Amino acid sequence: MASEEAKDYVLPPEVLEETVRASEELWKPVKKVKFRIYKYNPKKDYAPHWEEHELEVSKGMTVLDALLTIKGEMDPTLGVRYSCRMGLCGSCAMMINGKQMLACQTRVLEAAGDGDVVELRPLDNFPVERDLAADFTHFFEKHKSVKPWIIRSDEVELNNPTGPYKQTVDEYARYYQFTDCIKCGACLSACPTAATDYEYLGPQALAQAYRYMVDTRDDGLDVRIAVVDTEHGCWRCHFAASCSDVCPRGVDPAQGIQLLKRLIIKRKFGYKPHKPAEALPAKVKAESKSGG
Amino acid sequence: MRESTVMFLHYITAILIAITGLIHLLANNDPAIGPLIKSNTALYLGNMAIFLAALLYHAFNGVRVILIEMVPDRCWTKWIGWAILIVGVVTYAVGLQVLMVALGLA
Repeated sequence: MASEEAKDYVLPPEVLEETVRASEELWKPVKKVKFRIYKYNPKKDYAPHWEEHELEVSKGMTVLDALLTIKGEMDPTLGVRYSCRMGLCGSCAMMINGKQMLACQTRVLEAAGDGDVVELRPLDNFPVERDLAADFTHFFEKHKSVKPWIIRSDEVELNNPTGPYKQTVDEYARYYQFTDCIKCGACLSACPTAATDYEYLGPQALAQAYRYMVDTRDDGLDVRIAVVDTEHGCWRCHFAASCSDVCPRGVDPAQGIQLLKRLIIKRKFGYKPHKPAEALPAKVKAESKSGG
Repeated sequence: MRESTVMFLHYITAILIAITGLIHLLANNDPAIGPLIKSNTALYLGNMAIFLAALLYHAFNGVRVILIEMVPDRCWTKWIGWAILIVGVVTYAVGLQVLMVALGLA
């Protein structure tokens, strides 16, 4: 019986053959591409320079695959930051042919287009750590400054929780898209304001501030307004929307900033987006535990 | 003053410029309505005083925004704000004087 069930899961030979053929096709070298890579070590080098490497690439090869091949076979000193290799961690964001992209999500042939040169440099608006790796210290400081966590005034409930805070699906939908941010820095890199105003909080931090301010579990609206409603806060956004254009996760930080501005103006007239959510009553908690 | 207050006034002055600017244009270019508006000197002076104030606030705040983006140092940000305020107030005082002379009130 068990072997009969297992048989159902075996791919038919023609499907298996097609899958193998497609896989081979995906990794077969199809073109020679020249990689023009930015090289700079601020601790050693007087000035940055470019290095070129030629590589045979396949249809499935990503820019990160190519960089790791170059690092392994041609230039072991190449500095590149990466982690998950599947567009979730945001570590490998860089300028690929002049646009902010994740190296692990961008195929070489897609980046090269009709040409055969791919230019790689670290993210704009960031100091260089080494070669393609940017220094994110200031970026994370800005993120931290907007207090990206749930702030509550009921200390007793916070320290000794009696249950989870109530939140409906509609309330969750208000900020859902902003929770997708992976902090890759592409938005700040593309922002024209951040290019001149290094004190500007930037699209990532401001969108995260909005995300927490409209979260019904949060009670830190006024605390965050004091941080974002400053000379280098949300009012410096001129709505170029470059941040939303380059976000690899499809988040719309530009929209978040405009909504944040509206929220601050409304707050001036006494409006509060929500009352802080209460903890679920013990009865509901007990029912949900017993599956009732 | 909070930045939101400054920027809220920036948007309000934009609306005021459109309204008072239209009255100013009509007063000087429309042969039918122009003399009617100008006949009440106090009202016309009031309109021009608001127009000038709104225009100067909007323009100087725009310059302030450009400057604090170009010189983002926090210490300079404060000084830029004060310098622009002083220049704006002096310009308004001079502009008001010119207006009163032009309308034969001084």
